[in-house]
Amino acid sequence: MNTNNNSYTVIYTTVIVVLVAAVLAFVSQSLKSRQEANEKADTISQMLTAAAFGTKAEFQAMGNAAVLEKYGEEIDMAFTIDAEGNKNDDLDIESKQVYSPAELKKLDYIIKGKQQGETALPVFIFKNDVTVVPVYGAGLWGPIWGYIAFKDDMKTIVGAYFDHDSETAGLGARIKDDPDFQHEFVGEQADFESSEIFEIVKGGAPKDAQGNSIKDNKIDAITGATMTSKGLEAAIGTWLGAYAKYFTARAAATAEDCCGDQAQSCCCDAETAGCDDKTNEEE
Amino acid sequence: MDSKLKETLLNPIFKGNPITVLVLGICSSLAVTVTLKGALVMALSVIVVTGLSSLVLSLLRNSIPSRVRIIVQLVVVSMMVILVDQVLKSFEATYAIDKQLSVYIGLIITNCIVMGRIEAFALGNKPFPSLLDGLANGAGYGLILIIVAFFRELLGSGTLFGIDILNRFGYVTNNLVILPPFALILLGCIIWIQRSIQKDLQEK
Repeated sequence: MNTNNNSYTVIYTTVIVVLVAAVLAFVSQSLKSRQEANEKADTISQMLTAAAFGTKAEFQAMGNAAVLEKYGEEIDMAFTIDAEGNKNDDLDIESKQVYSPAELKKLDYIIKGKQQGETALPVFIFKNDVTVVPVYGAGLWGPIWGYIAFKDDMKTIVGAYFDHDSETAGLGARIKDDPDFQHEFVGEQADFESSEIFEIVKGGAPKDAQGNSIKDNKIDAITGATMTSKGLEAAIGTWLGAYAKYFTARAAATAEDCCGDQAQSCCCDAETAGCDDKTNEEE
Repeated sequence: MDSKLKETLLNPIFKGNPITVLVLGICSSLAVTVTLKGALVMALSVIVVTGLSSLVLSLLRNSIPSRVRIIVQLVVVSMMVILVDQVLKSFEATYAIDKQLSVYIGLIITNCIVMGRIEAFALGNKPFPSLLDGLANGAGYGLILIIVAFFRELLGSGTLFGIDILNRFGYVTNNLVILPPFALILLGCIIWIQRSIQKDLQEK
């Protein structure tokens, strides 16, 4: 048979490509549920890492089932909020409902107004009053996302974990691989009143006399990974911006709480004076 | 087993090793040899991909139109690579390592060993010897990967397979070993050793 004539070549390549596509589609479909289970456990371990329940390596060593169980023990409530920061639907804690990167991408489009849809941003609150929220954005080569955990004053960061699809190994990939970078976030304070809620700066974040990072809303960018650092800054800015109303409202509510309840020692120093004034008036 | 098959199977492991003699696949051997576990998974993936692609293409070899043979090879090789990636993602034990190796699994497609062996061997030989040739070349690649990763993990992190070895004796880890250039230094040493054993490789 003459394998070099045109129609044979066209038919041959078509058949090969269709066959390969069919095999890949079949395999992808049949392995999908297993892959999703792995991805879900990975997402949960990322949230637990951000909330400082342990390190990512520890959770990896635990295995999927143990990670899900740990999440079940620690989670207090999970729900979505709308664009105005009001609490909406509850997420299913029983089935450990979380958001996959693909779902975060959809929300990212909605936040940025690229796509029509209902704003329903997830909030995860753990039993130790740590609140975890996701961030999502564009890195240099592909999407980057992660989770940031806040104390109940709704501005001090307890921890953060970031992941990426295809950032450069050894440079941009350090947002995920370098625990020191993620550790920089601990203790920093997001500033919801400023237009720059959180900054990742080149040339050094402000330091005190001992050379320790001042706990403000600035941290050092990664050397050699300018675009990834900028992308991460934009992702954090956009997403925390979308959460700003909810965070401010909850911070105010927490402050009021401690004024109303005198038995509880006042947890917010700044408000202490205000609390005293109020109680004096009541007397 | 007749001597020709034996030669096909053993030659790529040492005498005709794809990394140290043909100097193919250098890029990924720098990238994935930081940990022994990563190197092992990568080695197994490459063995599967080279073996199966050689087998499939050898079966198809008489029907492939020669003008589009590279494209057909690419389609088959990428299918194998995607299959390996999908399977690694599906198991709890390999999911994390697949994430860690990330792009390098996908980049097996561009590993010259795979296409090189198909062009040089599978398209001109029967399926069974082609399968052996593919597997053996993958194994030759994997062997070097594992040797390099052994030294890099031991000296760079003081561990093997994540278990403390040198760390127990107060070893201070060497960051240079973790960085890619050290893989080249190690590869150079391996090639040096091989050439001093195998005199016929030395240029006059």
